[in-house]
Amino acid sequence: MKNFESDFYNVLNLLKIREPFAFNRFSDGELYILQNKELILDAEQVKVGQTVTKGIYKEEDFKKFHPKEHSFYRDRLVDAFKFKRRNYFKGLSCRCCVGDENFQWQLDFHGEYDRNFTWSNLFVNGNYAKFIHEMYPVFNEYKTVFICNENADLSVLPFLVNDFRVGYNAMVQDYGLIEVIKSWITENNIEGYLFLFSASSFSKMAIHQLYEFCDKNTYIDVGTTLNPFMNMRVDRTYLKSFWLGEKGSDINKICIW
Amino acid sequence: MIKIVSGFSLPAGSTVALVNLCNQLNERGYDCILYGPDNWHMDKCKSAKMSDFCPENGDTIVVHNINLFSVVELYKIENKFEELRKKKRLVSLKGVFVRHFPRSRKHVGIRLILSCQENELFPLRRLNYAMFDKIHYVHSSQITYHKIMHRHFVCPNFSNHLIASEHKPIRTAGVIGSIRQEYQTEVSIENALQDGMEPVILYGYLIDPVYYYEQIVPLIKKYPGKIRFAGFIDDKQKIYDSVSDVYCTVGRAWSLVKKECALTNTRYHGPDTSSIEEELMTNDQIFNVWKKELEL
Repeated sequence: MKNFESDFYNVLNLLKIREPFAFNRFSDGELYILQNKELILDAEQVKVGQTVTKGIYKEEDFKKFHPKEHSFYRDRLVDAFKFKRRNYFKGLSCRCCVGDENFQWQLDFHGEYDRNFTWSNLFVNGNYAKFIHEMYPVFNEYKTVFICNENADLSVLPFLVNDFRVGYNAMVQDYGLIEVIKSWITENNIEGYLFLFSASSFSKMAIHQLYEFCDKNTYIDVGTTLNPFMNMRVDRTYLKSFWLGEKGSDINKICIW
Repeated sequence: MIKIVSGFSLPAGSTVALVNLCNQLNERGYDCILYGPDNWHMDKCKSAKMSDFCPENGDTIVVHNINLFSVVELYKIENKFEELRKKKRLVSLKGVFVRHFPRSRKHVGIRLILSCQENELFPLRRLNYAMFDKIHYVHSSQITYHKIMHRHFVCPNFSNHLIASEHKPIRTAGVIGSIRQEYQTEVSIENALQDGMEPVILYGYLIDPVYYYEQIVPLIKKYPGKIRFAGFIDDKQKIYDSVSDVYCTVGRAWSLVKKECALTNTRYHGPDTSSIEEELMTNDQIFNVWKKELEL
């Protein structure tokens, strides 16, 4: 039986022993894109398929996916989801967060079960304190590159040697950046580096393509976990519990498989 | 068998001290294992999870940071075991004690030592220290602080092997130690910045994230680009190699930071609280104290 905490320590151990790997996350937003549902996340509305609710998102989280207009990017996301290679870990949305039906849909859509499946939420909820206390310090052991929003302030992170920035709806607007990063890797003979991604759905496509291109580096989608260090908003429930001390059950939640 | 069991095994000074104690005992031929509720200690020494802890006849058990009050209360806690475990991981250890220790505070065949690495964070008067054969203080000032009458010995923590850094950066400050209100990390940062240090790097376990967000983040915004957060780094040599100066506001008498600064040719800015006698103890001398007190 898969264990939320054990999977975290498996990934942490790879990082500690400097064995390259990729950790890619397919959260609910990516799930809807994989399901080819129209997705609009902005300040005015949240639209998933035909369901529309009030918008809650700020600019850096804006996302727009239209099945016909953006089919190319959906195909690349499918590539990332179905890609298999040693130490390429795929974080799926868990049944406790997206429900049994959606969880099963992911497995069915993927086809053959991949033993590198893990939780999309591996670094958040009940594992977030461990991520901050035990994994974050290990980043200092690496020459680290950050791919993140153009508004992020990275000056607090002492381990960075380079960064690449993305803007609004990066999956579409900044897709070409993947080739730029590949060129930088080649031209500078980059091996043994750590690449951190906090760039929404762009991260998923980039992590897949960069790990396929050069699997001698480590690529991790850190999502919103480092927002408090980047002068970015602390608005996720698990962040508010940990950093603001607000009551909330997510920070103790042990996600199930 | 020497069993060290701690209610806290996350990366912080006390855990490092217990890891060092465990390693020193094993290196010198005495079988020792460190039990803790967290995972961090697991690859640092001969170790196991708290759930594997089981007192056995002939054991010497060094207990750290576990609020054991009375045997009677332990029996009451056992009744609430599952309920309390949700609130505190330490309860699982209390459960182990409940199962294995008799109602009497005489523990035939088991030597019980309480290692006290804290003052206000672990006041001894609030627990039944009488159930321990001896209390281990890391500094003589703790005897006065805790004000309890019980058999005890004083022995500083083992220190790490450190050498003078070859290439020191210029005017780069380190604030070393757990990040929490009680240690006034924000004051250390301000002091370093006022002395013209840039950057100021925080090396320590983030024990209080709310304090960090309320007190440190505003400083980061006030002094853009000047403050960095590294977290707890295992390799102390790397820490001292990366800074020219170390700032500390609240000095604990048993802290090794001042001693480590001297070893690594790093300027120390902080309270001078340690006594010369304890500063000068070598690891061999420290081991000899443990050997005598544990009757090894």
